[in-house]
Order: sequence, then structure tokens, then C-alpha cells
Amino acid sequence: MHKGLLEGIKRGETVIEARGITKRFPGVVANDHIDFEIRAGEIHAVLGENGAGKTTLMNILFGLLQPDEGEIYIGGQRVNFRSPLDAIDLGIGMVHQHRKLVSAHTVIENIILGHPKAGRILNLKKAEEEIAELCEKYGFKVDLRAKIWQLSEGEKQAVEILKTLYRGARVLILDEPTSALTPSETRKLLASIEAMARDELAIVPFITHKLPIVLAISDRVTVLRRGRVVSCQQTECATEKSLAREMVGREVIFRIERARVERGNPILQVENLSARSDKGFLALRGASFSIHEGEILGLAGISGNGQQELAEVLAGLRKAEGGRVIFEGQDITDASVLQRWQMGIGYIPSERTEVGSIGDFSLVENVAMNFYFDERFCRQGIVDYGKLQQLTEEIVSEYGVAAPSPVIKAKNLSGGNLQRLILARVLSRKPRLLIANLPTQGLDVGATEFVQNKLMQAKKEKAAILLISEDLDEILSVSDRVAPIYEGELMGILPAEEAMRETIGAMMAGLRSEGGEP
Amino acid sequence: MRVGAYELKLEKRVALAGWEATIISILAIVFALALFSILFILAGVHPLSAYREILAYAFVNSYGLPLTVNRFIFLLLCTSAFIIPLRARLWNIGMTGQFYAGALGAFAVLLAFGGKALPPPHLPPALVIPLMVTAAALSGAVLGAIAGFLKGRFNVNEIVVTMLLNFILYWLVAHMIKEGGPFMNPGGRGESFELPPSVYAPLIAGTPFTILLALGAAVFLHFLFAKSRLGYQIKAHGHSPAAARYAGISTFKIPFLVFVMGGVLAGLAGYHYFAAVPGVYKIARNYGYFGDLAFYGIICGLISLGNPLAAIPIALLFGGLSVGGRYVQGKLDMGFGVDYALLGVLMITLVAFQFFYRYRMVWMKTRRETVSVDGNLP
Ligand SMILES: Nc1ncnc2c1ncn2[C@@H]1O[C@H](COP(=O)(O)OP(=O)(O)OP(=O)(O)O)[C@@H](O)[C@H]1O
Ligand SMILES: [Mg+2]
Repeated sequence: MHKGLLEGIKRGETVIEARGITKRFPGVVANDHIDFEIRAGEIHAVLGENGAGKTTLMNILFGLLQPDEGEIYIGGQRVNFRSPLDAIDLGIGMVHQHRKLVSAHTVIENIILGHPKAGRILNLKKAEEEIAELCEKYGFKVDLRAKIWQLSEGEKQAVEILKTLYRGARVLILDEPTSALTPSETRKLLASIEAMARDELAIVPFITHKLPIVLAISDRVTVLRRGRVVSCQQTECATEKSLAREMVGREVIFRIERARVERGNPILQVENLSARSDKGFLALRGASFSIHEGEILGLAGISGNGQQELAEVLAGLRKAEGGRVIFEGQDITDASVLQRWQMGIGYIPSERTEVGSIGDFSLVENVAMNFYFDERFCRQGIVDYGKLQQLTEEIVSEYGVAAPSPVIKAKNLSGGNLQRLILARVLSRKPRLLIANLPTQGLDVGATEFVQNKLMQAKKEKAAILLISEDLDEILSVSDRVAPIYEGELMGILPAEEAMRETIGAMMAGLRSEGGEP
Repeated sequence: MRVGAYELKLEKRVALAGWEATIISILAIVFALALFSILFILAGVHPLSAYREILAYAFVNSYGLPLTVNRFIFLLLCTSAFIIPLRARLWNIGMTGQFYAGALGAFAVLLAFGGKALPPPHLPPALVIPLMVTAAALSGAVLGAIAGFLKGRFNVNEIVVTMLLNFILYWLVAHMIKEGGPFMNPGGRGESFELPPSVYAPLIAGTPFTILLALGAAVFLHFLFAKSRLGYQIKAHGHSPAAARYAGISTFKIPFLVFVMGGVLAGLAGYHYFAAVPGVYKIARNYGYFGDLAFYGIICGLISLGNPLAAIPIALLFGGLSVGGRYVQGKLDMGFGVDYALLGVLMITLVAFQFFYRYRMVWMKTRRETVSVDGNLP
């Protein structure tokens, strides 16, 4: 029994130390002799490009993966994790990049599920009190009796954290905790994280590209590049620029050049479009707008205000409840998904693992998702996998997808690299209309810049682009016109260059603009 | 488990090569036979001589071998019928019903050509045989289409539908061949009228030509999944219906098509067993036995992991063991159904061994100074 290794540990003392951790996967060294240390009461950020090895390192510290080389010390004692159960036992908790809750169960049931004590006589009432106490202490606001599917992303995140805390975690590993959260949810989460750190918990949040957050809340920051530690420093000594440079290995320009393109004919016209959400309520209400050749329209809004439904209706994945969609003069309101792809509409979905890719398919087969119907790659019903492999190799190198070979399975890609692959695949179709739903979510600074440039390039090639994003900076710097959306209604459409941040922010919160042309 | 400084660990496999899967399957078969020896020993029979008898009868003996081959054709068709929907992650539990439907379809053609008359009329084989094959395939397809349509359009559980259709078809066959039924044997023996000799299925070296259909279908399916657009669509739908839909793959078309295709193959099995196997040439009284045997298509399909070519040796093995097992049971006067017991043990071990498809065992060196968090988890 070594449960007590972290008992009585004091602020500033080393909680976990990893020495010389190395992990190889076929074709890549994901972690290359990493030395890493976490102290009690500190918030330690780990930064790195997509595929730098952050998730791998954390999985090793959590016992999900076994290192090929290297040692882990907890409270000064050498340990050998055989499974996450060992790590949990020693007080380590992890919240994964992709959530793992049972959606038909209540919050309490999820928190208790798999708890070591759950097998014994269960005192639900007591458990509820204890959990409520944790919520109180760290400022989580969750209805414990609600079912998981009723919760927002931020609340789900809180449940995951509560689950680990309830099991007695002293060290909390958060893998990209904010990437699916809205700005206000992010603020709440950060406040909770700080409260936990005050309580001598060591916290390792993982943030790939939201550098301002790293600077605002962390005490120390470790930067990984290609599986190696390039720096470990007090956060006070770092700036956004310096961190970006260390991550990417070169200077990163945070402003991107807005391409000047003559605005052409309208490609997409949307008239009074409405749609219902999965839960049945009217999530999109009477949206009307148009996007022209060589134009980027930015749909600004907090997630859950109808953007998803709009994107899906345009992609043909959801039925319109009313209104019309006209593409290059043709009414496509009832066209099938396949017809839309063939006409030149491209859709980058926000759910990259569930919708945008197939984990058990190779990269080549994943690329085939947007090409299996294409004359160039499929003749007389026979798919030309050789040619597709060639295409995959091309786009993998052009878009810098870190993958040892095009035949590995997509589930072995890091989160950001998968996103790049999806983007690359859709953009290489050269769509006339591109619907990009949160295209830079989970991407590192370098990749974000890269993607935004790719959007600019598509715009120069006369594509019409609908950019859906929660990141107001991104919207303002990339798009030509901005359409804030609130509760399923467009609040107006403004030219991006003249728009005031504050105005747009207010419109995203439901204030209607006065002179916005449709 | 720990031996000295080494510890045996299970590790998740990153990938499974074809030869690794083959070795695992062979080990599983050897293990199953060893396990089953215990039953022979308990029954006072020497296991090696029992296995020799089984294998010799199934694969060498001039009476046993044709039986094996005919079972093999039947099983391979049923396995393929199961595999196609399986690749779309849909469960065809209805090979039995589709098989019955195929038999009924083939005999309906005979009836239409007056084949029931006595003495047996001469029918033009070049016309009637292709028609019988087609009718069998179509009847199976119609049955499959019902399940596929309900799944694709209304998302009705395909397992329930195919199971129910099995029952319905079982009673339909009973109705057709019973006394007074349209297919009744003039002698009224609870079986169907016999095939006129003029339309016996052609034999190739003593084997019904249906073996070509079965092997051809397996090869075709291999090609379908490896190269074709439809195969790609089926696999994509199988892995993730949401992603497939995003890619423009119809969530109606795929379930519908895979069940139609599966139904065609199981329907052909109906033609094969009742119109092409020498010595049968009628819908036999014990047609329910073959209906049950069709379920082994599920087992063979699962063991071969949905690989249509891997299904060939597995169907051959299962066909042979079922024939040989039944034989030694009589020969050695054993008190239990050796064929079913043997297939059962084999099935359980093969499925259990699939664990090693996903995990492998590795010896890890552990260091002395390591604190290990041993077994006393709360
Ligand atoms: N199970 C696996 N099999 C093979 N390769 C893997 C596996 N898991 C990760 N990799 C590879 O290891 C490298 C590091 O991946 P990791 O998931 O740790 O990156 P990350 O830093 O978390 O990136 P991201 O910000 O994109 O999530 C990547 O090149 C990835 O392709
Ligand atoms: Mg990651």
C-alpha cells in the first residue's frame, strides 16, 4: 500500500517527477527523454504544437500508457503504474481531451460510477452531500440530479473534474480543458482551477493555443517540441511571443494579412431559414444572408446559438424547417449531402472525431471520405487507392500533418493533427462554398495562423466562405463581414473592418444592430 | 504475473497483421481440440484415435468427403450472407429464413413448370436451372430487403426483424410441404415433391456447381471490400454512421443493400442444399436441422473477423467437424451429440482467443527498487 505517498505534502514540494520519459510509436518518438516535475499548489501549463507529445506524456503520468524508458516518482518514491487504477489510487486524476461521461445517467451517478467505494453499500445521500461540498469549495455550479445530456460543455467539464476530486485526486491533469468551452465558461473554470491550486492541489492544465490563458493563470510553463522539453520557466518571465517562438521554433505573426479580393457574384443566398435542434426546439430562426465570391462571412456567437444547426442545414445534414437555400442560383434546400459535395460545397464539421473522421480508418481512407465519389479517384465503382494515397501524402506534407505514414489509423493522430487532416481534405476539393465550423479549435498558434492563411488563399481563389467561430479576434481579423448570432437569430451584418469589438460583443449577447444591411 | 525479475503484462496491440491472426486462430483450434479430448477420455475413448476417425471420415473417406464439401458450400454461403451486413455493423440473424425462402423460390419455379407431376417430366435444364437459381437468390433478397428497409427507413432493430422472419419462414415451409400443401410430396411424407432428374444441378467432379457460386461469392466480397466504392461506403457506415452521413453516404441505401446482398447468398444456400446436393433433391423433412446449421454462419463470420477469404478455411473446418463428429458418435457409440459439442467448444475457444487479437503478452523487466502498487486495491 502506498496510498499515503502524497499525504502531508506541502506547498512547493515536488509531487510528481518524471525522469527521462521516452515513448515511441511506430514511426514517431512521441516523448523523447522528458524530464518534468509538478509541485504542490502550482498550476503548471504544458504547451506545445499539435503532436508535440503532450497527451502522450500525460497518459503516461496517468498510467494509461507505459513508457518505453524513464522513471516516475511520486512524493519521492519510484512507482510503476500498470493501469490508471494505480495512478488514481495514488491521488492522480485526469480529465481527457475527449469527454467520457455516460450521457443517460445523472451527474451523481457519473461521479460515483467506477468509484472504488461504489461496490459497497452506497449511501447516495452522503455522497451527494460530499459532492455538493466540493462544488461549494471550488465554485462549480452543477445540478447534481441533472442528466449529463442536459448539461453544457462547461458543466460536463466540471463533472469530470468533480469525479476525479471525489476520488481523492491531489494532482489534476487537464488535457485541453478550455478548447470546447465558451469564453464565459472558460472564465468560470479558470476561477475554479485557481481555487483548487490554493488548496495545495497540483494542477497541470494543457492549453495548446490559448496563450493568454496560460499567461494569466499558470505559475510555471513547460514547452514541448517534437517530444522534447525545450524550456521550463516561471510564467512571469514569458510573453506570448516568446512562448509561441519556443513552441513553433520560429517567429509567429499574430495578425494575418487580410487579402483584398474583388467581391463577386453571390454564391450562397439564404432566405428566412429556420431549423430545429436535436431536442426539437427552433434553434435557427429566419436567418437571411448571402455570401459572395471571394468573401468570408464570419458568424460570431457563443456556441449553442444555432450555428451548428445552420452549418448542418447548409451541408444537407439537417432538414430546414422553413426558408430557402440558393447556391449559384439553384435552389438546393432539398439537395442531398452527396449532391452538395459534388456541386462544390465543402463542410468542415466541428465534431472532428465523431463526424469529421473515422478513427479506425487509415488516413488514406479518411481522405477518401471526400473523394470516393470523385471521378478522378473512382472509376466504374472501383476506388483508386493508389492515387488516393498519393493525394494523402501530398496534403499531409502540404498541411504539415505529423504522421509517420499515410496508412496509420486516424485515431493515432494527435487532436490537432486530425483537425489539419480534415481541413486539408476539404480544402483540397477547392470548394466554391466552404462552411468552416470552428476550424481552428484545438490548433496550436502556428497551425491557427496556417489555417487562417489557407482560408485567405481559398478566398483569393474566389471561394465563398462561412466561418463559424467563437473567437472574436479570429472573426474580426479574417472575415470581411461579421454576422453575430444570438438564440438562432442574426443580429445584423456589419463590415468587419469598421466593426467595433464592443458592438459585436453586445450583438452576440442579443443586442440588435440598427443599420445592419442583410 | 511475475517470475523473478520479469513480469508478464498485457499490452494493447497497435496493429494486427494477417499472419498473426492466422497463428492465433490455429492455436485456438489446437487448444479447443485438446480441451475436447477431456470429453473423449471421460467417455473412455482415446482422443487421438477419435480425432483420427473424425478427420479421416470428414476429409478422406469417400462417403464423408462429399458430405463435408456440401456442408462447406452451405456454410460458406451462410457465412458470406452474415459477413456483408456485419461489415456495416448490422447483424443478419436471418440466414435461416433467407435459406428457407431460397428453397421455396427454387421449388416454386419447378411447380410452375409442372415439375411436380408423376412420372417426373423432362424439363429443359438450360432454362429451368438458371431460373431456379435466380428465384432462390431473389426470394432470399426479398426477405433480406424487408429487414434492410425497416432498418434503413425506420431504424427498426434488424436482429428482431430477421429473427421473426426466421420463424415465419419456418412455418411457411411447413405449410408448403405438409399434406395438402402446394409443394407436398405425392407420397405425403412430410417433405416436398422431388426434383425431376432432368434438372438435377450439374456436377463438377462429383461436386455441385454451387461450389463455384460459394467460392466466387467469397472472392467477389473480398474484392468488394478491398477495392470498390460500395465496399468503402459499407465499411464507412459500419465504423461510424454519422461520419458516413457527413461524407454523403446514404443511411438508407447501405442497410438496405447489405441485407439484400446477404439475402441473395443465403437464398442460394437454399438452392444448393435442396436442389443441388446429390441424394437430397427435395425440401427434406428435417429442413429445420439445416436451418439451425445456418446459424453457424454467424460463428464462422465472427471468427473470420468479417474477412470473406478467411471464412473459406473456417467454413471447411466447421463443415468437416460437423460431419466427422456425427460419424464418430455413431461409430464409437458415444452418448452425446459429438458434432454439436465439438463445434460448441471450438466456437467458444475461438471467440475467447480473439482477446489476443487486441492484446498481446509481453515480458517486462522490473527493477528491484521499484515501488509497485500491488494487488491490494481497495
Ligand atoms: N496510439 C498511438 N499510436 C501511434 N502513434 C501515436 C499514438 N498516440 C499518439 N501518437 C503519435 O504521437 C505523437 C504525439 O501525440 P500526442 O497526442 O501526444 O500530441 P499532443 O501534443 O497531445 O497534440 P495535440 O495538441 O494535437 O492534441 C503524434 O505524432 C501522434 O501521431
Ligand atoms: Mg493532445
